[in-house]
Amino acid sequence: MLGLAAGLLLLVWSFPVLWGFLTSLKSERDVLAYPPVLVFAPTLANYRDVLFGATTILPNLLSSLIVSVSTTAVTMLLAIPAAYALARLELPAKRATGFYVLATQMLPPVGLVIPYFLMLRGLGWLDTYHGMVLLYITAALPFAIWLMVSYFEEIPREMEEAALLDRAGRLRALWHVVLPQARGGIAVTVVFVFLNAWNEFLFAVVLAGNTVRPVTVAMFNFISVEQTQWARLAAAAIVAMAPVILLGLFAQKHIVKGLTVGAVKGGGRR
Amino acid sequence: MSGAARIRLLGVAKRHGGVTALKDIDLDIAAGEFFALLGPSGSGKTTTLRILAGLESADEGRVLLDELDITDAEPGARDVAMVFQSYALYPHMSVHENIAFPLRMVSTPADEIERAVLQAAEKVRIGHLLGRRPGQLSGGQQQRCALARAIVRKPRLFLLDEPLSNLDAKLRLETRVELKKLHRSLDVTTLYVTHDQEEAMTIADRLAVFMEGRIEQVGTPEEVFAQPKSLDVAAFLGSPPMNFLPAKLVGRVARAAGQTIDLARDYGPERDAVLGIRPGAIRLEASGIPAQVYLVEQLGENAIVDLHVGETLVRVRVDRRVRVREGDTVHLAFSTEDLHVFDAATRQRL
Repeated sequence: MLGLAAGLLLLVWSFPVLWGFLTSLKSERDVLAYPPVLVFAPTLANYRDVLFGATTILPNLLSSLIVSVSTTAVTMLLAIPAAYALARLELPAKRATGFYVLATQMLPPVGLVIPYFLMLRGLGWLDTYHGMVLLYITAALPFAIWLMVSYFEEIPREMEEAALLDRAGRLRALWHVVLPQARGGIAVTVVFVFLNAWNEFLFAVVLAGNTVRPVTVAMFNFISVEQTQWARLAAAAIVAMAPVILLGLFAQKHIVKGLTVGAVKGGGRR
Repeated sequence: MSGAARIRLLGVAKRHGGVTALKDIDLDIAAGEFFALLGPSGSGKTTTLRILAGLESADEGRVLLDELDITDAEPGARDVAMVFQSYALYPHMSVHENIAFPLRMVSTPADEIERAVLQAAEKVRIGHLLGRRPGQLSGGQQQRCALARAIVRKPRLFLLDEPLSNLDAKLRLETRVELKKLHRSLDVTTLYVTHDQEEAMTIADRLAVFMEGRIEQVGTPEEVFAQPKSLDVAAFLGSPPMNFLPAKLVGRVARAAGQTIDLARDYGPERDAVLGIRPGAIRLEASGIPAQVYLVEQLGENAIVDLHVGETLVRVRVDRRVRVREGDTVHLAFSTEDLHVFDAATRQRL
């Protein structure tokens, strides 16, 4: 019974992906066939077109990669020490900061388009990589900090105290003792931040789009007033999904490890 | 670098917010001594240990390691090792890496680390477990691993925070003996925090009894047990605890529970007092203070008899062969020198 339920859930979850995958293998004619055909002659033509044809998305994949990797790297570099500080130090405005961080996540992004536009224009950073990365960081950093504070708080304080007594000092205690144990949390945060930057469309299409043209914006091109190239769009979507899935698979190992690694009883009095 | 250190705390005080956690802590611990900080939970013994470790700062007073003032020194700069109640082993490192960590942090040569790790592990008999992760060890093995990590760098001061509290009863007794042996073989000043008075009595050269953030009494286990300075110390030490009887003192006699009891010396004009006597110091005899047997608890080697003397409950430790039954009337006798006399108001020993 449980297996059946799990199977059903998995089907519901994976249906759009499977449908997209099937569509990407169809010719445009098969895509529009009604009723939908399940048996068709599969073709890799769409993949050839979106990868190496006139409508190639490879430069856009690179563009997405640059934006997402930079966003993730800078965010993590800033978020880890910030989250650690929030988790450990007695800061006067700790609660207020926590609430502010959460509140920034509640703003609908569309309400920020105009202010961001004005700010980036003022800086002359419209349609630039550093402009987009900066913009994504403003959204990702609070989220990453908020997510990681809870992971750091779970690590017993005595663990670091032991490291301090073992002559590690604060920074090396963080590096050798705290971070390895927060590995699961770091992996989760990296995946989320990367995913958000990779999938972002609204800001990319309004505040960039020429020099910086991530894959989400490029895919939008397959949809035009006259026609929508569903099969190519699907192929592009599958290709765009691949890096994220790879990252997820890689991170999974660490996430699972992160869950089991703290299996020492005791834990200390808090 | 090495060699046991003399530890002195001079007028140390600590406040957590508005609450006083420690007050007027003065201690002088000799080099190489095995010293226990004993007290109920929340009495300040762990805070004292953490101040010694540098994990908390003293609001007042000084901490001296030999002649060196370490009051404001960083934890890592103190040459102090500590075993935490939770052991605080690094879960992502093997036992070997755990023990090597304090040496690695000061860039010790690899071959020296290897030698020291093996030596420390052998000393606590976990040499065969070096490849495991802490999560794969039993509670007792984890505790040994924590000990090995602490002794590997030959500290001058060794701090143990309730190291036995997470072990089961049998293992606790064994480890107690081993700790004592370990201390002898290491020749390092050792401070041992515990709330278990029996543990402190058996293991320590001297002990300090903490009550509500201050030290009530310092002395050898024998001294503190035989001559408790206050009612609170007397009540805390000994199991079952000391019996107390409210009494009126007049000269050389006390009136308590409707009886007149002779005292060892003259206590002057009439005053309110509390008489204390340990359960083991009372004998059941043919004559003496009459009492009703209320309950008999067999402990194997001996038995605890709960008695009513008037309205007061008195507990007596007797040999298991003594035949008493619930409801019997017995007579209590004791020597006057076993009697502890405390002032009712100040709670201090008279």
